[in-house]
Parts: sequence; structure tokens; C-alpha cells
Amino acid sequence: MDAPAPLPPFEQAVEALLFASDVPLRAEDLAAVLAEVWGEEVEEAAFDAAVEALNQRYAAGGHAFRIRRLGGGWRHATLDTLAPVLRTLFTDDRDRRLSTSLLESLAVVAYRQPVTKPEIDHVRGVNSDYALRGLLERGLIDIDGRSDSVGRPLLYATTPAFLDLFGLGSLDDLPKLREIEEILTDPSFHRERSRLLSELAAAAAPAGDPDARTPDA
Amino acid sequence: MYRVHLDQFEGPLDLLLFFIRRDELDIHDIPIARIADEYLDAVRTLQELDLDAAADFIYTAALLIQIKARMLLPRLAVDDDGEPVDPRAELVERLLDYIRLKEGAAQLTTAAEARRHVFVRGMAGEERALAPEAPDAPLRVSLFDLISALGTVLRRSAPVEPVTHAVERESYALDEQRAWLLAALEQKGQSFAALLRGRTKPFVIVTFLAALDLAQRQLVRIIHGVTPHDFALERAVPAPEPATA
Repeated sequence: MDAPAPLPPFEQAVEALLFASDVPLRAEDLAAVLAEVWGEEVEEAAFDAAVEALNQRYAAGGHAFRIRRLGGGWRHATLDTLAPVLRTLFTDDRDRRLSTSLLESLAVVAYRQPVTKPEIDHVRGVNSDYALRGLLERGLIDIDGRSDSVGRPLLYATTPAFLDLFGLGSLDDLPKLREIEEILTDPSFHRERSRLLSELAAAAAPAGDPDARTPDA
Repeated sequence: MYRVHLDQFEGPLDLLLFFIRRDELDIHDIPIARIADEYLDAVRTLQELDLDAAADFIYTAALLIQIKARMLLPRLAVDDDGEPVDPRAELVERLLDYIRLKEGAAQLTTAAEARRHVFVRGMAGEERALAPEAPDAPLRVSLFDLISALGTVLRRSAPVEPVTHAVERESYALDEQRAWLLAALEQKGQSFAALLRGRTKPFVIVTFLAALDLAQRQLVRIIHGVTPHDFALERAVPAPEPATA
């Protein structure tokens, strides 16, 4: 079997920087470093190509990691198939799961940012004070200036930690929201709660109550 | 028995969506009169259980009743094309918005789940290093955690002496208890419960206040997570410039 050809110096440099860094690096970060060392500007598109080439090598060589866009920049990350092996190293990941109220508030911020608390409250129909505080404490959102509207309320936006938690390279990678008609016509929209209903009806209404509806039963 | 099920509804709009889904209603043509009544019934139940959470629901119930009333009146408001405005339009708009958003939240959950299977460099080291001495995050302690710990100690505290019907002066002063606490923590950090075992209620309460005060002055650190109903205290190196004058 032929040994693979050595990496060109540029790809080697990109690989070394990404390997050694504990934080995600953006193309502009890489370009700044290389400009300083080599004294020449590198087109940012060249980094996309280098990452692509490196990933192809990793794949061809059967390596356990790839370079991925996470949290606003590139990082080496292991393949998800190896999760069972790696998970044993991690004693505790309770903190990473968000409650429904935190998640909903985070989704409003993510899709509407920058957004004020009154707007978030309006979408959710509840006071989001507690949820926003939780998100701020976890570093998933941050204050992003003030709105020009009456009272100049604070504006909230997501942070790189948010991108990392959801495995997103940038805000452009946010899952696309489906059009409302598509969701409404999706059979699962009604079915999902029908199940809930039968539970509710069973528990809340005594047997034989004519008001207990069980559409799926 | 209703409590369990009301937990399924995160907020007032969820309860409304629940009715819509349950009865497979057309969201653009909600039978407001019926839903408003049903909603109000549910809110009454909720109110008996949990007044705090009920406030947001009452607001939405009021909104439904308002729409119900407007449906009965001749439509005066018209839109840009001169068509009468459906009083439900704004609510429907909000519901649709909320449905989309909830789906966004669900998709984010899926994304987070996938992300949890991927590991980056440096993570393992952090986790290992953090695990044994995690509590360097004083903000994680909510006031409720502290109050809960206080409650636990108070329940265990020594019974108050038989009632004598004489009013005595409060026998513990805050600054005394601050000094006592600092002395008690001189050698090593201690759990709040262990520190105050067998003490009387006044002693426990004033010491609790002293602990909060010292924590604020950054003279002690409060370490949460020993058990759900206890916290630990230890001496902290004071900040270079004490904030208190």
C-alpha cells in the first residue's frame, strides 16, 4: 500500500493550528496568524479548501475525527459513531440539557435576534424573566445593546456557546423553520396531543363521563 | 390528580393549542365561545393549585373572553381592503407564530442531541478537572436553595425552652455571629447543617444571616451541592478592595 503523499505546508499549518487550539478558529483567525508568520495574505476561501482536503484525508485514512464548524469556527471533533467510547470520559453532562421553558426562550432569541424581553414574553405568552436569567448564566445568550423602542429595552442575542451547544457553525446553520401550513397539515400535529388527551381524559374524568373524548381510542 | 396533567402545558398558549389539537379544530376558525369557557374552567383548576403560574393563564383567558365578546358585536374595525377584521385574527397569528417557534425549539433539541455525540479537543480534560471541585460557581445557588437549607437545620434545631411569657432581648447579634462563623471556619470549610447541629433557632437564623452577609463581603464562600438541603461554607480570601464602605 502506498503511503499517502505528505501534506502541503499550507494544509499542514491549518491542521496544526486547528489541532493545537482549544477554541474554534475562524478563517479570519487563521488568516491573521498566517499573515503574521508568512507575511502574506491568504484568501479565506483557501481555508475552506484546506479543511475539505484535510477531511478527505481523515476519511480516507479511517481517522476518528473530522474538522467541523462548531461554535462559530472550525474544530477537530470526533465522529459521532465513537460517542459510546468517549462518553465514559465525561462524568457529568446534566448541565447541558435545557428545560422546556429555557429551550423555548432560547429558540425565540435564536430565531428573532436581536430581540427584547417583551417580544419574547409575547411570543411565549408567559413572563420569561427566569428563563432569560438561566440562559444568561449559562452563557448561551448575551445582551446585545438596546432597542430604539419605547423604554429602550435590552436586546438579547445568542453567543458562540449557543452555536457550540447545538453543533452549529454559524447562525446560518439554524434549522429552517417550516412554513406554518406545512406544520398544520402534518398528521403528527394533531396526533401528538391526541395521545396526551386520552391520558388526560382517563385521569381527569371518571369512567363514563360523556365529556371525556378519546379520538384515537 | 389534575396537577400532573397541567404540568404538560408549559404556558397559556400551550393550553390553547392543546384544545385545538385535541378537538382537531381548524386553527383559522376557532370556536372561540366554547374554547373560552373551557379555557376558563382549566384556569380555575390551575388557580387552586398554583396561583403563581395561574397569572399568565388568567391573562390569556381574559383575552379569549374579550374576543368572544367582540365576536358578538357588529364588526367595526376594517382592514386595508375595507374587509371587517376577524377579532380572532391577532390571536391566530400569535398561535401560528408560537407553533413555528415550538417546532424550532424541537429541531434545536435534535441538533443538541446530535452535538452530544461529538467531542472536541480539550473537553475531557476540563470535565475531569472540574468534576472533583465543581462548586466554584456561587451564582448557581439560588436563594431558594439557601432557604431550603435553613429550613432543614431549623427543623432539626434544639427545641425552644418552655414558654415563659417573658419578652427577652434577642440574644444573638449579627456581628457576634459573623465573628463566631469566621472563627468556626478558621481551620476548614464546614457544612451549614454540621456547623449548627443542636443550636437553637435564634442562633441558627442569625448565623444564617451572618453567612449571607459574609458571602456578600466575599469573606466566606457558599458552596452549593453538598446535598439538596445543605450547603457548605469556607473562608475566602477577601477581594483586594472591599466593596462595602
